[in-house]
Amino acid sequence: MAIVKYSIPKLKRKKINLLNFLSLNLHKFMAVPALILFSVFFIYPLLNGIGLSLTDYNGISKPNFVGIKNFIDFFKDDRARNDVVNTVFFALACAPLLNIFGLIYALILDREFKGKSLVRAVVYLPAVISPLIMGYIWYFILQPDKGFLFSITKALGFTISNSNWLADRYMSLWVLVLVNVWQYVGMTMIIYLAGLQSIPVEVNEASKIDGAGYFQNLWYITLPLMIHPMKINIITNIIGSLSVFEIIVALTDGGPGYSTESLSIYIMRMCYGSFTGYSTAIAVILFFIILIPVLISFKIMKAREFEV
Amino acid sequence: MNFINKFCRPIVLSIITLLSLIPFYILLLLAFSPASRNFSNGLNLMPQLYFNNFIEAWNKSQIGLAIFNSLVITIGAVVVIVIFASSAGYAIARFKNKVNIAIFNILLVCMMIPGIINTVPLYALMNKIGGINTYWAMILVCSCNALPFSVFLYTSFIRSMSKEIEEAAIIDGCTKFSAFWRVTFPLLKPVTSAVVIINGLGVWNNYAQAVFFIQSQSMRTIPLAISMFFQQYGAKWNLMAASAVIGVAPAIITFVVFQKYFIKGITAGGVKG
Repeated sequence: MAIVKYSIPKLKRKKINLLNFLSLNLHKFMAVPALILFSVFFIYPLLNGIGLSLTDYNGISKPNFVGIKNFIDFFKDDRARNDVVNTVFFALACAPLLNIFGLIYALILDREFKGKSLVRAVVYLPAVISPLIMGYIWYFILQPDKGFLFSITKALGFTISNSNWLADRYMSLWVLVLVNVWQYVGMTMIIYLAGLQSIPVEVNEASKIDGAGYFQNLWYITLPLMIHPMKINIITNIIGSLSVFEIIVALTDGGPGYSTESLSIYIMRMCYGSFTGYSTAIAVILFFIILIPVLISFKIMKAREFEV
Repeated sequence: MNFINKFCRPIVLSIITLLSLIPFYILLLLAFSPASRNFSNGLNLMPQLYFNNFIEAWNKSQIGLAIFNSLVITIGAVVVIVIFASSAGYAIARFKNKVNIAIFNILLVCMMIPGIINTVPLYALMNKIGGINTYWAMILVCSCNALPFSVFLYTSFIRSMSKEIEEAAIIDGCTKFSAFWRVTFPLLKPVTSAVVIINGLGVWNNYAQAVFFIQSQSMRTIPLAISMFFQQYGAKWNLMAASAVIGVAPAIITFVVFQKYFIKGITAGGVKG
């Protein structure tokens, strides 16, 4: 057997060295650099944060393991509980308003008319500007006495009692919600518009022939077909609003007192206040709060959106 | 119905347009008015052309430097995002092996996690490796936050492209790797422009990360410079408005010029069907 084995002339094979192998298979690993970058600056900090949340790290000295003390502190902390309520309230108030107005805007702007794309662009415009700067602009408008809203109402002949909305415990949170809705209604609208345009013309024509009026058509044809964009919008709006940051910094800075402070602002304050361990614990809790809508979204959207 | 179409529609449309534009008008009005102008008694909405606010704001807020810093960070981040996300999208879309599918799933899950969650541990990391107050730290942090969505856009776009051109290039002697950079990448222009504009504006407007990683005055980006300026000159509305106009103008111009790609990209990431 051995003779036979050696008698067959060997084809001269190309030497497989590492470099050669890599250059031939490089394409298979093209996603790896992105993963490495992402792991170092996103996943590693994410996991490290969970570790840090179990320590008394203050940003300078060596962290000591303290177990779940930070989390116990969190649940005893009135300010933290207040911030959770504010954050969740903000998200749950923004999502329906954004969707109602976004859908109405989309229904109005879906028809053909002159200057359609211009109006769409104008409605979308606020969303491309830094929410921080947008917040400052609204600050000018909403200031008592000097602000524009009050000048306008004064010029029209009526005055608003209790005009200092940003300093009012209850009004200020609603003002933040409204400014946020005003800024991002365009974003929601665009998603609905894309959904509306994917409805075949035949469907609407058929319902018209069957004698459906505008509102019947809207209720029985359009809205059921809008369920999918609606899901996307609600989920992204809730997730986006749960991490609200800039608008609050610009408009109220968490005040009056802590009545408009959100969890993300508390995270920043605690980090600057050298309670790094505690602030990562807050981030972990915010993460779990955000995980709820994320999991729901994966359940709802299934493979339809994210097919691999 | 005809009546509604003729009269109500223009009214509704103009209300919608005005509602979105009035705050910008007020900003311009403030920026172009001398400080002596008082709006509280007798509302006068006619603009004046008074440019001194801009000159004063420019000098006092050092916003020129901030624009330069923002430009460096934005361009750097966009380049990193395009290179890494397009190559990852290509591998995920074309070569289905376990590693690529796993990478895609990891990115999809992380797409939902907002950056603020890991900012504090990231700050600790940057402190350790000397990334505070550097361009590269901001570039890498911002691009990592934008990476999942960009990979998602690239993957779905490349999947919808036909393979024939790449195959022709491979027959002509390209490796699959070089086929991507020489043949496929130039064909990705529509999705690349969407990625560039969406993420470029996102990085340009970034405040939540910048406030952690940039602390020295000379490194400030536009949102930081403006917020600092507001805290310093809080009472001088005209100066603040002028600085805000300077800060907002590049974003608005970009949006107006590239509006088409922008909306395309947003909808491509959202709805299909």
